[in-house]
Amino acid sequence: MMSLFLAASGSAGAQTDYYNTDAGRPLTVEDAYATERYAFELQLAPVRLERSRGGVYAWGLEPELAYGVLPRTHIEVGMPLAYVEAGGFKRSGLAGIDVSVLHNLNAETQTLPALGVVVDALLPVGGLGPSRTYVSGKAIITRTYPWARFHLNGRYTVGDAPTNAPGSGSTADAAVEVSRWLGGVAIDRTFPLRSLLITAETFARQPLDDAEDVEWNAAAGVRYQLSPYFNVDGGLGRRLTGDAPAWFVTFGLSRAFGIRALFPVK
Amino acid sequence: MTSYRILPAIAALALTSGVLTATPAQGQWSTTSEQYYLPASFNWQFRTNYPAADRLFNAFDYGHAILYERLWTQPGAPVSLLEEKEYNFITRELLVHPPRLPLEEAAIEIEYAKLAPEAKQMFDWAHLLHRQIYDVWADERVSLNQKDARVAELIAYYKTRRDLAFSSRPKSMELMEGQPYSLAFRKNYPKFNGLIWAYHWLQVGLYEPLVTGKDRDARQTGVLAAVARFRQMIENAPTDMPRIMPMTAAVAPAFAERYPEASIIFDNLHSMHDVVSDILANPSVPRNRKRSEILRAAGRYRDDTSYVWTIAEWKEMSQMMGVANMGGPSVGVLEGFPTPTVARGAVHSEMTDHSSMSGTPGMAGMQHSPGMSGTDTSARADTTMAHAGHAMPSSTPDSSMRSMAAMEIHMRMLEDPVIRARIRADTALRRMMTEMMEGMPAGHRASMEQMLESGTSGGAMSGMDHSTKDSTVPTATAPARPRVAPAKKAPVKKPATAMPGMDHSTMPMPPANKPAAKPARKPPAKSPAQTKDSMPGMDHSKMKMPPAKP
Repeated sequence: MMSLFLAASGSAGAQTDYYNTDAGRPLTVEDAYATERYAFELQLAPVRLERSRGGVYAWGLEPELAYGVLPRTHIEVGMPLAYVEAGGFKRSGLAGIDVSVLHNLNAETQTLPALGVVVDALLPVGGLGPSRTYVSGKAIITRTYPWARFHLNGRYTVGDAPTNAPGSGSTADAAVEVSRWLGGVAIDRTFPLRSLLITAETFARQPLDDAEDVEWNAAAGVRYQLSPYFNVDGGLGRRLTGDAPAWFVTFGLSRAFGIRALFPVK
Repeated sequence: MTSYRILPAIAALALTSGVLTATPAQGQWSTTSEQYYLPASFNWQFRTNYPAADRLFNAFDYGHAILYERLWTQPGAPVSLLEEKEYNFITRELLVHPPRLPLEEAAIEIEYAKLAPEAKQMFDWAHLLHRQIYDVWADERVSLNQKDARVAELIAYYKTRRDLAFSSRPKSMELMEGQPYSLAFRKNYPKFNGLIWAYHWLQVGLYEPLVTGKDRDARQTGVLAAVARFRQMIENAPTDMPRIMPMTAAVAPAFAERYPEASIIFDNLHSMHDVVSDILANPSVPRNRKRSEILRAAGRYRDDTSYVWTIAEWKEMSQMMGVANMGGPSVGVLEGFPTPTVARGAVHSEMTDHSSMSGTPGMAGMQHSPGMSGTDTSARADTTMAHAGHAMPSSTPDSSMRSMAAMEIHMRMLEDPVIRARIRADTALRRMMTEMMEGMPAGHRASMEQMLESGTSGGAMSGMDHSTKDSTVPTATAPARPRVAPAKKAPVKKPATAMPGMDHSTMPMPPANKPAAKPARKPPAKSPAQTKDSMPGMDHSKMKMPPAKP
């Protein structure tokens, strides 16, 4: 993936988009729009650091590549790398491969918000990956007002709880945060003349293990266009409830580009 | 724990129902979408090599966006919202400190983007083509032949989006000016409309120095000069702004000759910008029909059959309407302003009223009656007498002409040593003369003060001819003093004559234009070529001055 990016970057000018948010960049809740058709968007350094009660740290790095494969549709591949400390263990490694498709159903109009759907599969790959494939479906609604923009996300995951759930000392679930369901809302405020967006969210998620409590989270973040080529984001949040309340910070750097051979004009 | 599980579901349902029922459930299902621009090594070269112009274009995005947003969301707002508040913000702040990056227009025209996302995407798609063609011509690594090939690729790629691409066949003015809603915007918002046309002038005009510049330096100078001319336009709004929509074939003829398809696309783009403004600004279009009217117009601009002109007709119309009315050419702009030949907001149908105008090269085949129906003779006189670098005491063409005539009368009076002595001796007369001179341009005032005090001519108006028979006398050949640094190797063009070839004998002229009642007593102290001219652009050859000393 990295070599693909490097090969393309020499021949492609690009402009990333601070206005449209992606899951995890900087917040969990995202908007309903897909990456532009024919565009690649590479998340270069999406870092997440989490500090749980007792000073337990978990690091995550999830390089992702999204491609606008069809009108209003992108496919995305992520390879989450994790480093976690739990139960006296310190482990690092690939925490699965995440493959997803986002389809934006419509553009926002006066009467209808923008609607999007996502199908996501987390594949059991890597030492910190899940024990089985988890398939999720997500619905997204985006509504824009002159004073703010709202995004509403709802996600449901199919599949049994892992046998090595977090309570049993496993690190896998902590690394990828698979949840039975997730519901959240984010609010954005854009400063277009500064190419800056600030955003805040709250979401709740039910871990796969029904015995665990629902986790409530709150976070805030920014996205900023550095140049026509690069976009940075950062976030700060808190898991307010659940079995393991924690602080987390995220940072990301993304770049969009195109590969000429994939365009309809040669 | 149960409440924790129920709460998110309740919140989700509430928000979902809220967003879905925020407006009447009259579905507007739009599937328009964005598409990435063609990857190439030349991308962003314009930003790199011409940063000042590139930044201006970022600011232009704001102007278009806020215009539509205000017209749509505040239909009952006073005219001053756009003509004063927004205009002042744009011209005094945004264009002075333009954004460093292209703007996300959806974040500015929030409600308009929801009203007609399809039209917004059409504009965005055409703006991408605009920018990429700048990039091709800004990239010095790309040879001339390669530039043509790259532009052809860009146009081909542009046209792959049939749902977004403007037709590359010319559309008649009827589509822009002949609809029930037409002209509402330009009539109600002349300054902002002039600003938009000035934007469009630069957006197409900037191609010309890029295409005609013989080398990198010439292109740099030419681009800077065009940008400077744009800034001149907004200095004195709306007087110096385009009076009709700039057309590419007129403003950037070399570019249009080289890339007619792109030029037509841009003309259609700019034309539709005006149409959307008219639809939004015209209260006769009910709010619940604005979207459908915009989409109908958008469809007509995309198809190849509605309101189509031939390319020959398009070129002919571009010339006939007169580049002087469109802000002037975008190269060789370091002289005075061109001379418009029509009134602000003139429409095509009026200009082609052959029954009332007589033919001129600038308006081929048109009939010009003595009164010049459909044209603004006062405006013509104003700009004929306009002196680069000098603000006239009054802002309207008529008053400007009268002031010029009065100024000439006073100048001629001061030629007479007896009159000068009389004025110096009479304190009341001296005071009145001083007050009158305060309203004059600085150069004239200094000259008259010098004459009054010392009796010398000062040379400022030596040899000046204030006759407005500008189109038939050597006036047109007098080089104008540039208001900015002269362009390197910029072609020197004659200032546009008001209406070359036109019979001015029947036009009403102010007294100053008649032959001088009193013949000049002495020849000019210096020839115009030798004298530093404070009123460039005027023919000073016939202005008689008093001797250096009484």
